Amino acid sequence: MVFSSIPFLFWFFPITLALYFAVPRFMKNGVLFVASLGFYAWGEPKFSVFMLASIAQGYVFGLLIEKFREKIRLRRLFTALSCGFSIGLLVYCKYADFFITNFDRLTGLSVKTLGVVLPIGISFYTFQMLSYTVDVSRGRVSAQKNPIDLGAYIAMFPQLIAGPIVRYSDIAEQLKSRSHSAEKAAAGASRFVIGLAKKILIANRLGELVSVYKASSGSSVAFVWLYAVAYALHIYYDFSGYSDMAIGLGKILGFDFPENFNYPFISKSGTEFWRRWHMTLGSWFRDYVYIPMGGNRVSKPRWYLNIFTVWLLTGFWHGADWTFIVWGLFFAVLLLSEKSFYLERLEKGRFWPHVYLILCVLVSFVIFDAKSLGQGFRTIGDMLGLGGLPIMSSETLYYLKSYAVTLAVAAVGSTPAVKNGVMKLFSAKHGEAVRAVAEPVTLLALLALCTGYLVDGSFNPFLYFRF
Amino acid sequence: MRKFTVYAVLTVCAGWIFGLFALGIITPDGEVSVPERRKLAQMPEINADSLLSGEFMSGFETYSADQFPFRESFRRIKALGQYRLFMQSDSNGIYLHDGYAAKLDFPLDEGSVDHAAERMRFIYESFLEGKASAVYLSVIPDKNYFMRDGGAPTLDYDEMVRQLTEKADFAEYIDIFPYLELSDYYRTDTHWRIEKIGEAAKALAEGMGVSLSGQWEAKPLDVRFYGVLCGQSALPLGAEEMYIISSPEIDGARVYNAETGEYQGVYDLGRAGGADPYEVYLGGARSLMSIENPAAKTDKELIIFRDSFGSSLAPHLIEAYRKITLVDTRYLAAPMLGRFLDADGADVLMIYSTMILNSSETMT
Repeated sequence: MVFSSIPFLFWFFPITLALYFAVPRFMKNGVLFVASLGFYAWGEPKFSVFMLASIAQGYVFGLLIEKFREKIRLRRLFTALSCGFSIGLLVYCKYADFFITNFDRLTGLSVKTLGVVLPIGISFYTFQMLSYTVDVSRGRVSAQKNPIDLGAYIAMFPQLIAGPIVRYSDIAEQLKSRSHSAEKAAAGASRFVIGLAKKILIANRLGELVSVYKASSGSSVAFVWLYAVAYALHIYYDFSGYSDMAIGLGKILGFDFPENFNYPFISKSGTEFWRRWHMTLGSWFRDYVYIPMGGNRVSKPRWYLNIFTVWLLTGFWHGADWTFIVWGLFFAVLLLSEKSFYLERLEKGRFWPHVYLILCVLVSFVIFDAKSLGQGFRTIGDMLGLGGLPIMSSETLYYLKSYAVTLAVAAVGSTPAVKNGVMKLFSAKHGEAVRAVAEPVTLLALLALCTGYLVDGSFNPFLYFRF
Repeated sequence: MRKFTVYAVLTVCAGWIFGLFALGIITPDGEVSVPERRKLAQMPEINADSLLSGEFMSGFETYSADQFPFRESFRRIKALGQYRLFMQSDSNGIYLHDGYAAKLDFPLDEGSVDHAAERMRFIYESFLEGKASAVYLSVIPDKNYFMRDGGAPTLDYDEMVRQLTEKADFAEYIDIFPYLELSDYYRTDTHWRIEKIGEAAKALAEGMGVSLSGQWEAKPLDVRFYGVLCGQSALPLGAEEMYIISSPEIDGARVYNAETGEYQGVYDLGRAGGADPYEVYLGGARSLMSIENPAAKTDKELIIFRDSFGSSLAPHLIEAYRKITLVDTRYLAAPMLGRFLDADGADVLMIYSTMILNSSETMT
């Protein structure tokens, strides 16, 4: 089930919310767990077993790790077993066929692929489970004694299938006791509607433009650039919209989830971009891979290795394809180059660093979106005018004109300008009075428009489901 | 946030979600969507199998969208938002220009045109060669052809005609493009208007060696016609008038419907109030039918291989033929034609709209 769907918004959500607030405090996690299982099973009834198995092993091994905390060998064994189970499940579901295919290519053999369908959200809940096990092992958090509470954490529907990656340590206390208030719920509702609008009114429209480009035969250099810009904005609005909805839902239910995006397109460098883009994934790799490998407090060659390993894994996490691996390594090279040579100059610059960053991001997402490396490089060649395409075509002009407002709104909305303007307005004299009218009216208009698009349209996939 | 804002936000959001949830429960389910001319999805069956296979879930998603309270109003909000707020040139692939709605149809699908030509050749070689007195070919441009100055991308019509005439070189091409203009089409529908295509019909007749007097009278129907593009775009497009044309030959003709084995008139006026009033002409989509004109001054026969545009073209041609047979190979498999068709001495006209030629997979 996706948030931006009629079954979620007008069936699942009101029923779940009514039940959640109707039951006494000690039953709330139970309602959340059961509702989350229903939410997950709606899209993947059979794959619920994988998630339940993951929760069960995490619960058992968590308790064992804590029980044998002083016996280092046993603690390490149980930690390794739990992590092995989680990673093994992920590898089996997501990467087995990739390895088999490449093994076949390399050896000329023909080992049959498994044909496993990727369970949605497995990359997200696997990382959450890994963080739980490792944190229990490191003694940062206590093992969860209540399986319902651990289940509610892993399966929690707001962040189950597309993040943000909420670490157990982030919400361990909130699982025990959390506050619910009208103010928090209103802030959550507001955030949710904004995320919904980002997804439905902008991301989906840009997704249509991307689809039009892909189906187009009358392409031009300008159309390839239009596609590259539309795709980068599309993936940002799609993913950050989902994160907004998740954070908003969390607030309504009394949780505080970590932020996941902080206007990444205003960055001046790749280094800064990754401090603002998918922040929970970046920090996860930093804390559970990069720093345990020694981070930057090692020899230079080892540091290079650490960086390449982290970005190889980051790319691979996004998908079992060479395009994702190359995408990750692209950022490894970019970040290493910046850190080694010109990061300071980028940070001091005003205009060109932004152009540099946007170009790098556009190129990276072209590779990210490509069906194959060859196609990705061909598209980049087309952008550079090497593909023999005309500079402009009537089709390009039509779609440029047709999507100009959406692109402009998306571009402005990807900077803090709108937020800052609104905040300034609300903090001015009579700002609260303006807000009392403007905020509910805007939310109502957005809800009406989003509902209209949902009722009429069918173009609604979330990109990050496949990761 | 001050308290008032907090409660105003909560009231709006909760009111919207819970209100539409409650309305969804108490509103009775509809059977059909008239503007979209289709049946609405009904509540799927719920059992262990449908739950485990996910069939119930996908069925429920369609059902909940189809049966959403105030569905048409919400579709309209979306369409207006798309056009007016985001100033997008089209909604659901439908764009407006000069008060006319049209569906984007591009680029030229050369494979589809080849397929259409190949099916025509099959019919010619299997049933017409050595029998028919002459075979003609014509192409009906869609509205986009006349709306090109609006900036919307369109087919390469010249290339389509060139490709088709080259591949279907057994037929003599009759060009009717110069005899049509935008006002010859409905504003809200894909079809042409029967009362406006007299010149195109005359050009066709001339090309086939017969002449039309063009002596007919256009009579308005008592119907407010909302074309198929109204429902698809969900825009508040106004209703249009519909006409039939009347002459002694047309009024005296009778139409044999090979599907039912019954005779009917040239117009099925009962369909004027139905979901698609365009079905008034010859009763709508039919695989095989023939028009008999007892008042004919010649013994000439015509076989038309056609799509739905042919339904409003055929009445114009009645006066020049004793019998016109209309074949739609989208509904009748071409290899079976020999059982129903006798082309001896008949003229044959293969006439299709560019819409069908560009997506001809249904032509058998």
